[in-house]
Amino acid sequence: MKRLLTTAAIFATVALTAAGCGGSGGKSDSKTFEFWSFTNINQKGDVDVYTKAHPDVHVKLTEVGSTTETAQALTTALAGGKVPDLVLIQADDLPKFMQSPDNFVDLTTMGAGDIKGNYLDWVMAQSTTQDNKIIGVPTDVGGLAVAYRTDLFKAAGLPTDREEVAKLWPTWDDFINVGKTYVQKTGKPFVDNTPTSVFFQAVNQGSERYYSADRKLDYGNAQVKAAFDLTLKAFSAGISAKQGSFSTGWTAAMKKGDYAVVCSPSWMLSQMKTNAPETNGKWDIATIPGGSGNWGGSFLAIPKRAKNPKAAWNYISEMQSPKGQLDHFLMQGSLPTTPSVYTDPQLVGRTDPFFSNAPIGKIYTQSVLGIKPFYFGPQDGPIGTEFLNTLTSVEQGKVEPAKAWDTALTNVKNAIRG
Amino acid sequence: MLSPAAAAPHLRTPGRRRRVQQSVRERLAPYAYISPFFVLFLIFGLFPLLFTFYISLFDWNPIGEHRFVGLENFTELVHDPRFWGALRNTFSIWVLSTVPQLLLALGLAHLLNHARLRLATLFRMSVLVPYVTSVAATTIVFAQLFDRDYGMINWFLELLGFEHIDFTASLFGSHIMIATMIAWRWTGYNTLLYLASLQAVPRELYEAAAADGANGWKQFLHVSIPSLRPIIAFTVVTSTIGGLQVFTEPLLVNPVGGLTCGAARQCQTVTLYLYEQSFGQFHFGYGAAVGVALFVIVVAFSAFNYLLATRIRTERP
Repeated sequence: MKRLLTTAAIFATVALTAAGCGGSGGKSDSKTFEFWSFTNINQKGDVDVYTKAHPDVHVKLTEVGSTTETAQALTTALAGGKVPDLVLIQADDLPKFMQSPDNFVDLTTMGAGDIKGNYLDWVMAQSTTQDNKIIGVPTDVGGLAVAYRTDLFKAAGLPTDREEVAKLWPTWDDFINVGKTYVQKTGKPFVDNTPTSVFFQAVNQGSERYYSADRKLDYGNAQVKAAFDLTLKAFSAGISAKQGSFSTGWTAAMKKGDYAVVCSPSWMLSQMKTNAPETNGKWDIATIPGGSGNWGGSFLAIPKRAKNPKAAWNYISEMQSPKGQLDHFLMQGSLPTTPSVYTDPQLVGRTDPFFSNAPIGKIYTQSVLGIKPFYFGPQDGPIGTEFLNTLTSVEQGKVEPAKAWDTALTNVKNAIRG
Repeated sequence: MLSPAAAAPHLRTPGRRRRVQQSVRERLAPYAYISPFFVLFLIFGLFPLLFTFYISLFDWNPIGEHRFVGLENFTELVHDPRFWGALRNTFSIWVLSTVPQLLLALGLAHLLNHARLRLATLFRMSVLVPYVTSVAATTIVFAQLFDRDYGMINWFLELLGFEHIDFTASLFGSHIMIATMIAWRWTGYNTLLYLASLQAVPRELYEAAAADGANGWKQFLHVSIPSLRPIIAFTVVTSTIGGLQVFTEPLLVNPVGGLTCGAARQCQTVTLYLYEQSFGQFHFGYGAAVGVALFVIVVAFSAFNYLLATRIRTERP
């Protein structure tokens, strides 16, 4: 009998261990909070600054993984696990969480209403629900500019100075014409690809995107169509290297100078340095056609079941103040979302030697000032993917340009199942 | 003096109880010993399986509403071109990877089994190297080999005077690319399985065949293959189950388009579609329906394979 009991005890233990993973891990007090971030954004630096100023506060920072992995971990946690007190959410993942705002603390109850004016209105709009609950406080934006190769521009007889280059392309049509000239002179493609460098940027420059102002699905509207047609025009002009962004060919072509321009959000700059270190000093940065643009950004949110929302909020309000965001930019390079610091001499004076000492702080912050606030709906992700994919299929010769718009609409319809 | 008959019941009762206890214990003990597996299987295998069936009947947002929709997900699935495309891709990749891989493994096993092979252990161990390499690393290297403009394969094609092939962009090309990765990874593993069985084949059979004038090829055909029937059946079944669930390679090989494996979903497999729906778009109910459909397909296919394999196993040359 004793042996049987022992055996029973063993597998009871196994079962308990297996089932007991959701148990609470350690006690919490008002000075301790748990923070989930993604990698490569150096929240560790911010946390160090904060805990130095508040030695009594203990921040348990976990860098969960990529932005997607962090969003997935958060999903699992919200669906029935242990939630962190504070979590960083990437802008592309945010609409999915905005669909179910009840999972998060309405930050207006903590005082977000008083500070929301500090941030760019179109960014704040992304984390504000229709009934004016604030789910997230923005930590950074992407901004957009065109990175171009000065040596290749020179060889093609084009100006190389960033002011003059920016004057070459006030509009996307001008951009296409510059591309044609470049291809004529050099016989080489001009831009890395058209779906990402043209469509994905131009579509953000309108007053509405895939939803109308009253938050209804409206992905076939005239502004989207115009950006789509513009991309087809760029493709037909023969200026594209047809290298899909982030593919192996895209990286290799960047090293070899097989395209001369790439539309680059601020966070892509460090990727370019890693991908093509041998091109150091050959790049420069100019204003994007159309003058404005953004790709990416992130938000801090507090899950509703957080054990210590107050400590998390104290962290947000201090570290995401205009000064906090400026310090983070100077330390790590993420663009602030607080326009009041855009004229700060330290930000304006920030240059990057890899990009011929271009004033990155100045160029990128200007690109986010002209953006009009439009509604980001829950289906923005899948819709954007289908439009991009159809245009990529055009570049790959799988879809005829004349049929591309109808194909895209069909694909979007399938993707959003309705 | 007590008669034995009178004393017996009194004496025997505790003994019998002890024996009954002991036999119960002996009968239960084996179940207790194997129970850890079944307890874990119940928690991590059966429960998620049944739960998947359950949520496939809902419009299920993991962090939001759960709305019962009956079989609506399945009717939508039947009319979803993306699902049928994914199914087509899965089967195409499965055939393209399994058939060459098993044939190659057979040939390699036969060579490695050769009596006069030098450094046999070295060769036998080295076929397993691809199997222990990380899938992610393999995928990244193969993606570079197959690149349209800068890949080594296209460089060779150019040397031979052919046009470059855009493997990732085309339907068939991307399938070949992924099938190559799978075959590269699993050929060595299957080779060792075959080799193990071949070693159990008596040497005399080969010697007798050689004495009858059979060359290497004839020996392979008439001695090796028939002896390998059961293990061939086994590898076909395992490759089928694995092949219908290919996920990591299509996820990583083609970053363009995110989770779709290409702009036209040309190499998106069923498992990747499931992942896209569930974790990419939070349609857990629909994702679960894809999972249930895949479950039915795998079961049906395995049953079909099993029948085929039993016929192969019992058939005599």
